[in-house]
Amino acid sequence: MTIEQKELLRFISEQAPFNQLDFAATDYFVSHLQVVYVSKENQHQWLNNQAPNLYLIRSGSFDLVEPNGELVARLSEGEYFGYPSLLTGDDIQNQLQVQTDGIVYLLEQDAFDFLRHQYKAFEQYFVRAHANRLLSTHYKNKADNWSERRISEVMNKGAVTLSPDASIRQTAKKMSQHGVSSIMVMEHERLVGVVTDRDLRNRVLATELDPRESVSLIMSAKPKYIFENNRVFSALHLMLRHNIHHLPVLDENHKPLGMLTSTDLLRQQKSDPVQLIGRIYKATTVADVKRYAMEIPELLQGFSHKVEDISLIGKLLSGITDALTSRLIYLFQEDHGAAPTPFSWICFGSQAREEQTLHSDQDNGLLLPDELTAAQQSYFAAMGEFVCEQLSVCGIVKCPGNIMASSPECCLSISAWLAKFSHWVSSPSPQAVLNCKIFFDLRFVEGSNELYKSFSLKLSEMSKNQIFFASMATDINTNSVPIGLFNQFKLEQTPHKYKYLDLKKRGVVIINDIVRLYALSKGVKAANTVERIDLLVKAQANNKRDLYDLKDCWRFLTQLRLRSQINQEGLPSNCINPETLTSLEKHQLKEAFFLVKQAQQAAAFKFARGSL
Amino acid sequence: MFNTLKRLLGFSPELQDTLQQNCFRAKYLVIDLELTGLNPKQDEIVSLAWLPIEDQRIFVGQSEHFINAHVNELKQSPIFHGIDSHALEGGVPLVLALQQLRPLLDKYVLVFHNAELDWLFLKNAFGQFNMPIAATVMVDTMKIEHKRLSLQGQEIGFDDLNLAACRARYSLPEYLTHNALTDALATAELFLAQLNKITSGKGIALRQLV
Repeated sequence: MTIEQKELLRFISEQAPFNQLDFAATDYFVSHLQVVYVSKENQHQWLNNQAPNLYLIRSGSFDLVEPNGELVARLSEGEYFGYPSLLTGDDIQNQLQVQTDGIVYLLEQDAFDFLRHQYKAFEQYFVRAHANRLLSTHYKNKADNWSERRISEVMNKGAVTLSPDASIRQTAKKMSQHGVSSIMVMEHERLVGVVTDRDLRNRVLATELDPRESVSLIMSAKPKYIFENNRVFSALHLMLRHNIHHLPVLDENHKPLGMLTSTDLLRQQKSDPVQLIGRIYKATTVADVKRYAMEIPELLQGFSHKVEDISLIGKLLSGITDALTSRLIYLFQEDHGAAPTPFSWICFGSQAREEQTLHSDQDNGLLLPDELTAAQQSYFAAMGEFVCEQLSVCGIVKCPGNIMASSPECCLSISAWLAKFSHWVSSPSPQAVLNCKIFFDLRFVEGSNELYKSFSLKLSEMSKNQIFFASMATDINTNSVPIGLFNQFKLEQTPHKYKYLDLKKRGVVIINDIVRLYALSKGVKAANTVERIDLLVKAQANNKRDLYDLKDCWRFLTQLRLRSQINQEGLPSNCINPETLTSLEKHQLKEAFFLVKQAQQAAAFKFARGSL
Repeated sequence: MFNTLKRLLGFSPELQDTLQQNCFRAKYLVIDLELTGLNPKQDEIVSLAWLPIEDQRIFVGQSEHFINAHVNELKQSPIFHGIDSHALEGGVPLVLALQQLRPLLDKYVLVFHNAELDWLFLKNAFGQFNMPIAATVMVDTMKIEHKRLSLQGQEIGFDDLNLAACRARYSLPEYLTHNALTDALATAELFLAQLNKITSGKGIALRQLV
């Protein structure tokens, strides 16, 4: 009888990719490996071209160094090297420099090839590692939640369109020919309206309108639309909010691709949070709104286990907060009469970025036209008071810093808001920079979009100030990623001696700050970090690859945060103990922090001219 | 010292050649025994494992491990090496293991952690089954460590030379299981670490290790 190599089997079976493979793969690896002791003295005899091998580190630490002497990575327990030449057959480029002697497991080419052919996941692991695209592939496979899908994946392609000088009869004929229940009206390659079956019924037959009249009489002008690259969730939100059943889908150049209908979405799985938003938008009393709001925490808890991408949870919560706000504003107007002037309800910070958590507090404000009468002033003061109070009853706690529409400081005219921002931008004290980080993430929620747009245009003109950008860049660089020299984690410690990494403060926040800075400098209007990045890519503001890297990092870090919120004990929230990660995750995390650090430095170089 | 001299003088010309060669070029067989006690006259071999080192590589796939099916009295073995009477049922007669081991003795330099004790048991066992064995070259990781620590002028305590303590000195990973096979691997790793440290990677004549 042979007792197995227990120590080897245990160690190998815990390593990626073996922790995802049959035990037979571990067994094969163990029975074919050679154990070597790699020291400063003998380092030259490993990782050379005479016989390429796969190396897995058991102890010690080793630097991979490029031929030009540049450090590629410092490797330690659980990390592999040597696989690129096994995969490609190319010569080995990098050299090994031993920092601490240690035990390394070595697998020869033919054994590697056996595993590679036997186990697809094994091959994939190394191919991915080799392609150095660990981060982006990590969650790609996981994005299988239906509401996270791109609209282009669920819609029927093929837009049916006609021009506005067509008659109503021609319109009806064309719809019937194509068997569609709605049609897009296009003028100069622009979408100008939508006509649905219901319009033909309500606006033509019921009113006995002459079918020879122009379709422009009955179409819904300036219709809502959505882009093919948006998520299904966004489409649902839009349809529920505006009570529409047909949503034109456009490509990046506003060319129509097709119509998304509520039936298309019904075919997808139903989602409770989305229905909740629908109910909130229809609530007729404050009591109803509150009752629905009480369902939020439980509902999200059930939902959070199903979604893989935490950014969706943030979006959902922000969507729900938006819905509550809108409905409360509506109900206030029911009681106190319609608003005397146009107004915009805006939100800041995490709600604006759509990164809300159950613990986020209110950050909102009212944007009003200049030169209001005292009576109008007090109307909006009462609205702010009412909405903020009811939101807090609904579970969205009041802002300790009083950034709320109920405060006179945040219920201001356009020029007063601009003066406020201008003060921060022109004299960027540390407190002003802090304010900017909150207030420059802003988003329109309810009221007059025109008013908001004219404000945001003036705001983005005003904020284009090099000194302001420089001080933001400097501020970003005061926060550092938890990676020490040679790619090792720098851990923080709780009073109870738990060691941890703060993923939010030392990762996500830095990325948010960097992306905000670029967005401001390019006049990008979105507040959500991922959307800002996408718009920056479109504006060709930065190197595309760098922006995608940042996006990957942001998602990876928020992903890990979600896990840390679910299953950590004794650690502050948003923190993880890196010991609990697999070797692949550790590697990815290091990579992510490394990329964040690079982006920080790039921002400093660009905006602060490296003067740190 | 006297023992070493006596052993060296008794070696055949072939073995003398082996002793002259660079320690990195020699082929080693690392052997570990689990015993019921420390007295070769009363105690027995419970299990026996070995694995080869060539060219500074430990070939795990060529390791062997045998449990002696005919242990008379297990004593503390279940506690120390996890081998109980149930495990013995999966064992083989010791003679089978010895028959496999004997031809290897001529091909390899043997490595033990505490060679004196293990070799005494092995020699007895071979004798018991009338299997004559020739003189062999042997290396002892415990002795190497003892010598290294003495040269550094360190005081050596009772537990400083056990396998785990020696490994810790080279920052080798801590192993939780203890059976002949794991200990043979642990000894082999320790030996590679020692060779690198004491020869600064250049290697020395094998005789200096013996």
